[in-house]
Amino acid sequence: MDKKMTKQSVTNLIKNNLIVVGITILIIVASIIEPKFLTVGNFENIIRQFGVLIFVALGMTFIIMGGFIDLSVSGIISLVVVVTVTLVDPIGQVAAIIVGITIGLACGLLNSFLILTSGALTLAESLFITYGLGLVYAALALMYTKGVTQFLTYAKTPITIFKTVGTGSVGPISVAFIIFLACLLILYIIESRTHIGRSIVLMGENIVASRLTGIPITRTVVFIYAISGVMTAIGAIVLISRVNLASPVIGGAIGGGYETQAILAVVVGGTALLGGRGSVLWTVIGTLVLILMNNSLNLMGVSTYIQYMLRGAILILAIWLDSQRQFSEGN
Amino acid sequence: MNKNNSDAILKIKEVSKAFPGVKALDRVSLEVFSGTIHGIVGENGAGKSTLMKILSGVYQKDSGEITFDGNEIEDITPIQSMKLGLSIIYQELNLINELSVGENIYLGRFGEMGGRKGVHSKARILLDSMGSKIDTNKLVSDLSVSEKQMIEIAKALSFDSKLIIMDEPSSSLSSDEMQELIKIIRDLKNKGISIIYITHKLDEIFNFCDVVTVMRDGHMIDTKKVGDISRSEMISMMVGRTIENEYPPRPNCVGETILEIKNVNTKKLINVQLKLKKGEILGVVGLVGSGRTETVRALFGADIVKKKDIQIDGESVRINNPIQAINHGLAMVPEDRKIQGLLLRFSVEKNISLASLGNLTSYGFVNEKEEKNIGERQIKALNIKTPSGKTKIQSLSGGNQQKAILGRWLELKPKILILDEPTKGVDVGAKYEIYLLMKKIVEDGGSIILISSELPEVLHMSNRVVTICDGRITGEFDPLKASADEIMAKAFEFEG
Repeated sequence: MDKKMTKQSVTNLIKNNLIVVGITILIIVASIIEPKFLTVGNFENIIRQFGVLIFVALGMTFIIMGGFIDLSVSGIISLVVVVTVTLVDPIGQVAAIIVGITIGLACGLLNSFLILTSGALTLAESLFITYGLGLVYAALALMYTKGVTQFLTYAKTPITIFKTVGTGSVGPISVAFIIFLACLLILYIIESRTHIGRSIVLMGENIVASRLTGIPITRTVVFIYAISGVMTAIGAIVLISRVNLASPVIGGAIGGGYETQAILAVVVGGTALLGGRGSVLWTVIGTLVLILMNNSLNLMGVSTYIQYMLRGAILILAIWLDSQRQFSEGN
Repeated sequence: MNKNNSDAILKIKEVSKAFPGVKALDRVSLEVFSGTIHGIVGENGAGKSTLMKILSGVYQKDSGEITFDGNEIEDITPIQSMKLGLSIIYQELNLINELSVGENIYLGRFGEMGGRKGVHSKARILLDSMGSKIDTNKLVSDLSVSEKQMIEIAKALSFDSKLIIMDEPSSSLSSDEMQELIKIIRDLKNKGISIIYITHKLDEIFNFCDVVTVMRDGHMIDTKKVGDISRSEMISMMVGRTIENEYPPRPNCVGETILEIKNVNTKKLINVQLKLKKGEILGVVGLVGSGRTETVRALFGADIVKKKDIQIDGESVRINNPIQAINHGLAMVPEDRKIQGLLLRFSVEKNISLASLGNLTSYGFVNEKEEKNIGERQIKALNIKTPSGKTKIQSLSGGNQQKAILGRWLELKPKILILDEPTKGVDVGAKYEIYLLMKKIVEDGGSIILISSELPEVLHMSNRVVTICDGRITGEFDPLKASADEIMAKAFEFEG
């Protein structure tokens, strides 16, 4: 009996972390085949890629933990980058960044407003609403710039903040990484210690029962979309700082851009896609694992198309494993 | 009783099954004879469902022997057990709503039956033989619960079942539908088919079962002919101790009016009004869909109802959502425990502290130490049986889950507690504890609105009873004076 149980729990442990285990094997293989993988230069490269995606994924974690989804993040990134860059000259860099983050917040609030007023309280409904709004944000970015890429380097006023975020470092740690750590700390405290943080997972587990027990559903939905909008805008500012330009299509096509990768990072980290369980800390691991995977595949010369296919396969695997886990818990 | 082995269609000998941490079945032996209706009763967690799942092949037994119709059953799959002639009808029916009646009966066997046409003609013959007129082309989603049960039985018969196991079939049936089911069960018996009938309801055992087996804590306690056992003997075997009465003495501490609801109007409700006094248990009797649940949901702010007047302690209050209701001292134990009440994958502790979360918060931060204390306090106070506070609530029995939900609210000391079917799916022992708790709540100055489909429960516990039918309040009774028949007549008043 005991032996059986140990065996079972080991099997479960591997099963629950199948993706992380699989990707770790991939990374080991990559570092054997391609010695470049373990170089300092490559590690810096990885940390840099970590940048934009991690901010979006952190915001997405709260959304998914709460049982919703946000497909508008690509649109928000495009809109925030173009507005911020074009405003640097007219109003200065500080005000431009504030406006950029406010736009992210406003988009998040609009998402939650439409979700709440339409009475949409399921993942599927929020999926369509945010998808539609994401198209609107992306279209606004294109209309605003008439499709023309804006260059930060042409700015006549100082762009010191962007330069610091993009290339600066305190000792060995890059400024972007410090911003990430600060965001992570704040979100983790919210998640683990505050009433609103508790409300998110409770809502994600059972929105009907939570509402009947006095959990403020409206406030919680507004909160998670606002956080997602702000975190996405912070990611967008980091992106501008790195590439020094703002293309209205930088967020990527809706459905193929940052939202897919962010959802992937959250789910690979172990947050339940249908809500009720998760953590921003897990998302950090999920993001890291995902970027390491992309990086090792790139170094091994695997084609981008195959990489897309792999991402899709991993997402499906993650969701399948999660439903398996729920099934076994149900018995 | 008759131990002639040649007669037994099912022989279970010394079967054991353990799950991590629990021995679900401990050397259980049981024999079921041809053409008998064999009742199995026991509290939740007694091992009834585990035994049935072993028979149907969902679980594998750890040890013991099972012989069915002369074949030893070992490592069987669900489909194999059906083909041997052993069918199970689960509580939550296993039909596909989007398919027709005929297709459901012969699901997965269209080829053998000669395609669509064959399926429908065979289904027709089968349903005719059961005396049912259900159109085989009808979609299952358009059927009533009892008709669906009929289809499940037809499906079992289509496999030439010799033994049909029914797992609490009556839990979602009206009393008319129940009569139908009893008729079908008796017909099956006359055809020589054996039935295992699992239930919580002792009345059903006495109504139509021939033999009854009592299970408790994974053990088979005894098997007796129904004529040879009394109700109180059966209860004491189930709970392992003697329960003098099924109900505690009625509380008697009614004071002044505390709550008045008037002019509640929705699509379903017409001018509903209710009064509740301090220390009173008000019983609300009505059929499912009569408006009884809608009324309390309107009061609690669970549904958005614009047209309503609510007065608490003589003052008009506005309740548009559950948070406002809670702030006015209301609490509600909802009808559907799993969907509306529990966070199934969360711990018992978290499920209990849930409603107090707002009170535990200062400057947005939750006091985690106190949060844990609340769970421990209520687990102890209400005698909730759980391995620990950290256990997921989904692994607890129905009665203990319900006690956890009650504990969640009692922590807030509500003035008005709404209980919607508080003892549904709760075993006898836990039921009594819940009744005692209700008594204590009103004696401590709370008031209770009790909705229940079990009339005896309402009659024994309430100080006053109102009936509701088709969205209207149709009568008010003193349960000491009114008979069950009078009350039921009023609850059906607007029918037909």
